[in-house]
Amino acid sequence: MVREPDNIDPGVSHLADRVGATGALIVLAGCALLPLYALRANRIVPGIAQPIAAGGPAAWVLVLLAMVALAAALRARGPSRARLELACAAGMIASLSWALAYAAANITPDPASPARVSIGAGAWLAIAGAAAVWFAATRSPMSRACRVGAAALVAVSWLAAGWWGGLARLSILREYSSQSDAFWNEVGTHLTLVGAALGLAIVIGVPLGILASRVLRVRRVTLSAVGLIQTIPSLALLGLLVLPLAALGLPGIGPLPAIIALTLYALLPIVRNTYLGLAQVDASAIDAGLGMGMSRSQVLTRVEAPLALPLVIEGVRAAAVMTIGIAAVVAFIGVGTLGVLIITGLGYQADDLILLGAVPMVLMAVVADALLRALGRFVTSPGIREEAR
Amino acid sequence: MIKLENVTKRYGDKLVVDGLSLEVAEGEVCVLIGPSGCGKTTTLRMINRLVEPTSGRITVGDRDVRSAAPEELRRGLGYAIQSVGLFPHLTVAANIMTVPRLLGWERSRMRARVDELLTLVGLAPDAYATKYPRHLSGGEAQRVGVARALAADPPVLLMDEPFGAVDPLNRERLQGEFARIQRDLRKTVVFVTHDVDEAIRLADRIAVMKDGRLRQYDTPERLLDHPADKFVHDFMGADRALKRLGRVRVDTVMNTAVPRIDRSGGGAALTSPASCAVERFAYVVDAAGVMEGWSDCREPESSESPGSGVTLIDWREATVRPDDSLKEALSHMLELGFRRIAVTDDSGHLLGDVSLAEVEAALTGGDSHVATSPAGGLDR
Repeated sequence: MVREPDNIDPGVSHLADRVGATGALIVLAGCALLPLYALRANRIVPGIAQPIAAGGPAAWVLVLLAMVALAAALRARGPSRARLELACAAGMIASLSWALAYAAANITPDPASPARVSIGAGAWLAIAGAAAVWFAATRSPMSRACRVGAAALVAVSWLAAGWWGGLARLSILREYSSQSDAFWNEVGTHLTLVGAALGLAIVIGVPLGILASRVLRVRRVTLSAVGLIQTIPSLALLGLLVLPLAALGLPGIGPLPAIIALTLYALLPIVRNTYLGLAQVDASAIDAGLGMGMSRSQVLTRVEAPLALPLVIEGVRAAAVMTIGIAAVVAFIGVGTLGVLIITGLGYQADDLILLGAVPMVLMAVVADALLRALGRFVTSPGIREEAR
Repeated sequence: MIKLENVTKRYGDKLVVDGLSLEVAEGEVCVLIGPSGCGKTTTLRMINRLVEPTSGRITVGDRDVRSAAPEELRRGLGYAIQSVGLFPHLTVAANIMTVPRLLGWERSRMRARVDELLTLVGLAPDAYATKYPRHLSGGEAQRVGVARALAADPPVLLMDEPFGAVDPLNRERLQGEFARIQRDLRKTVVFVTHDVDEAIRLADRIAVMKDGRLRQYDTPERLLDHPADKFVHDFMGADRALKRLGRVRVDTVMNTAVPRIDRSGGGAALTSPASCAVERFAYVVDAAGVMEGWSDCREPESSESPGSGVTLIDWREATVRPDDSLKEALSHMLELGFRRIAVTDDSGHLLGDVSLAEVEAALTGGDSHVATSPAGGLDR
């Protein structure tokens, strides 16, 4: 993506960055008001808050970086502010990994004891605040090297802290180590289910969208039908599917209704965006294509598809993020997705088990989102790209 | 070349084109004109079968248009439209290569053709080939649209108000360029417009339509002088003398033997055969022959101060091009308050001039000044 560094939105660049400042304040509030880490005697008893100093030097680096980010958001201007904010955001998330690892190793020196350190509310708040600073920074034009570098810093730091060993003593990872087989099974099922549903939704939804753009009656029926499905709560939809499936002699629980339900949910953004993508193609371009001797299918593949594809992929992205979330719910009909961990954790009141289900889902959604956004940019012709913001 | 026989198009109860018969000779520009809703665009679109006639027969080069698949037919008929319809996701070069690509040309041949066409329509290939349509001005986009229509060198061009979406100044320039290109290429052109001046300037024959029927099909001169009925008379407008000037190209009547002074030659060195004493003034050019202004010879030029009595002008503002019509030249003269105006090429080189005398001669000479040959009215 070609970005012009001198073409900066004055609203973002020449005033104080409120989003970035808020993010930095959230990090500071998390550090000051809530525990970053808590000690639990075993899996289910409530944690005892530990002082911030338990995280060692990394915890103080976190606080320092939050202050720098706050100052940058309020005082600095232009591209240097964005770079500084991004560096602080990445640094905060990285230092948090070491603070947690250090605290875990420090507070529970004996790996064999059932006592464990869990990630405290302050740490979650700090991650959320750092993410806000990150978001604020990336609103400004920035080279790809900066973005990739920041992401690499975060990834390397967490991996290194894990390799060093402290992180493994965090409660969430102790849950993982006792459940790792089931965990990976569930991750696999989750991804397979989402992948299958997305694939089906694309195979069904894209042709439906094309048809909707061509035939008025199909458009009315299809768009309202996929819109209606979307309004049905996911658990209710799973329940509603039992009867028709039973009528066909098919099981009302298990992977089949799960895939059907996820596919139905994924249809709306894909059908709608395919239709919108085709509808926004300039009629004169189609007329010119036909007038110069393209067949109807050549107009579709050479003119309409390249112009509509960015929106179609945007629809797939929305569908992917949504189905990753909804796939948790199908645990209720006996499909082993990450939702199983959450439901089990709720049953045992084991917070860290819930997190073991929820955090990977968030990561999946974030990664799917980033990958499909990148794909969308890749397929967008420079001729129709939005100019740098 | 193109023949419409008793062609009718009906949408439900609505008769859009009613028993239209029309013949366009090879190498001629036929302009379809009429008030909106007269069926001119429908007629054009029936030729390349974007619209199928309800009845009647259309032949292009003696072949019935229905004898082949519409796609195949259309690849042999250049097509340019008012909204241009450039593909926004493709570069200018890729847009121009649309039809050659459909015909399966080799890459090197397409490349060469793109350069050739961009040069033809007056856009520098190096600067424009890799641009995207959104970076083009309206006039540039229209030029690319024309280049794209010409890409596979079709014998026939169908143009639906191809210059309709640009400002009047650019439109006149584009018309001049189109006339120049058409002089070289001699395509058979069917051109739809609602602009009478454009029709008179570009057409060999004009088909005036109303309510789906052909009211008169004739040369612009005959339409101006002998309108078939009151509708045609009114439609062609009142200022027929001026409109006639729109038919006369500047280079067909201009004086090429104009007095000129080469300023770089040192002051008042006369290089023209015409004497300054007779003309009382001379054009001033630089060493390369680029127009710089004029010198009033009545003010004696002293050797101490060469350049006194010289009026310097910007040739872009105060001259006309050889492709311009006499109407444009007259309008410039009136605007600037001159009795004559210099003619320069696109880089400002002085070619000659036209004066009110030429305008007058064109008006009184009637058909004899029609701009069909550079000889300027000697061919009829």
